[in-house]
Amino acid sequence: MSDADKENAARILIVDDDANTLEILRRWLAKEGYNTASAADGNECLAILEKETFDIVLLDVMMPGLDGLQVCERMRSHAQWRTIPVVLLTAKDDMETRTRGMALGVSEYLTKPINKSELFSRLRAQVHTRELDRRMDRTAAAIDELPED
Amino acid sequence: MGVTMENFVIKGNHPVMEKILQVAQRVATTDSTVMIQGESGTGKELIARYIHAHSRRANQPFIAVNCGAIPPDLLESEMFGHERGAFTGAVAARMGMFQLASGGTIFLDEIGEMSAQLQVKLLRVLQEREIRPVGSDRTVKVDVRVVAATNRDLAVEVEQSRFREDLYYRLQVIPVLLPPLRERRSDIPILVTHFLDKYNAKHEARRCTIADDAMVHLWEYDWPGNVRELENLVERLVVLSEDALVQVDHLPPNIRSFISEKKIPRPSLTEEGIDLNKAVEEFEYRLIDEALRRTKGNKQAAARLLGLKRTTLVAKLRRKGSAANQAEGYLI
Repeated sequence: MSDADKENAARILIVDDDANTLEILRRWLAKEGYNTASAADGNECLAILEKETFDIVLLDVMMPGLDGLQVCERMRSHAQWRTIPVVLLTAKDDMETRTRGMALGVSEYLTKPINKSELFSRLRAQVHTRELDRRMDRTAAAIDELPED
Repeated sequence: MGVTMENFVIKGNHPVMEKILQVAQRVATTDSTVMIQGESGTGKELIARYIHAHSRRANQPFIAVNCGAIPPDLLESEMFGHERGAFTGAVAARMGMFQLASGGTIFLDEIGEMSAQLQVKLLRVLQEREIRPVGSDRTVKVDVRVVAATNRDLAVEVEQSRFREDLYYRLQVIPVLLPPLRERRSDIPILVTHFLDKYNAKHEARRCTIADDAMVHLWEYDWPGNVRELENLVERLVVLSEDALVQVDHLPPNIRSFISEKKIPRPSLTEEGIDLNKAVEEFEYRLIDEALRRTKGNKQAAARLLGLKRTTLVAKLRRKGSAANQAEGYLI
């Protein structure tokens, strides 16, 4: 991968209290060309978000302290973080948790065991929307250049 | 709630949709050519109508031409009109869509389907602002705003010489890109509620609502036909529902099974072949997953749904756990 690609690669914050899971995800995503950072729980996730910007947050649900849904809730009420796509990656397969995730506007709900190619295709979709969003910024700039009718 | 395109049913509050609608509002005040790109069913014509309705041309005609639905040899006369006797069957002179749209907006949908020959003629129209009806030796001035749309990636079409580069740049002045519904999933519940209201209003006998877990299934489904597919389904659910509550069982099977398929994608026979035993096993696990979800984890009830003894199901689950443990490319 060239330096330019690396620069342009999406930044993903991985949040999971299981060190093993965190490491597997970090390795998978790095190999796929993503820039990653990781947090071991909800509070650390919020602390990292204070300092850095991310394109996607990949979030576990069951964690000590703030759980994934609570993190999501905090993000949704935060001016800058509310638009960051959240992908929940969890062992919780029940309808109640899914319903809460839906109500919080998460972008994807994925349950373990998670298939690697499935995870990548879901992340690619989020990156695609990010690219589309940037192109719409360029369109808005192009309109500013136009004469008013 | 979020961004609403009043009469045009572009609903949702996904940030990218907010941005698209802001762009549509601003571009409406100009006379610039707009190119809308998006998968089918994402609402390209709605955006075009929105732009027209917010432009100075709002009280003039909006004419939509589907370039992919009209036979290529008829499209030219549809667009530019023809003189009497221009071709067999042209018993009288007829105005084309460009003239009918005079003072207003013409919406050229599926522009990627247009023949190379017609692409040249359209380019000239955009440059000269005049059309020449088929069989005529005179040109006619037209004052029409052009909004084009395609579900193809026109940049790729240009690269592969299927679409003229000069026409591409003429059309691409203001590109508007619509995301597929699955990429703005958080808007799905908003759209479902909106369409329920819309079709409930049409069928006033009863008010149809949707159960939470049925809504979750709609939310997680990938909607290859996008908003149009979602709207069609909601209409069908409202019309066909016997009780006033849409439940998971009322949903089509492909949507009901989607959550499980997401976890274990549907196997397909590729060039390299397939491990049939493994594929069959994965299929089995998918159904087990679905049965457990429906019975909220009750193994006895799940076994009954699958026509298995409870002990057989438990044994399969044990094997499934260890298989996932060993599987490459799975995170448990």
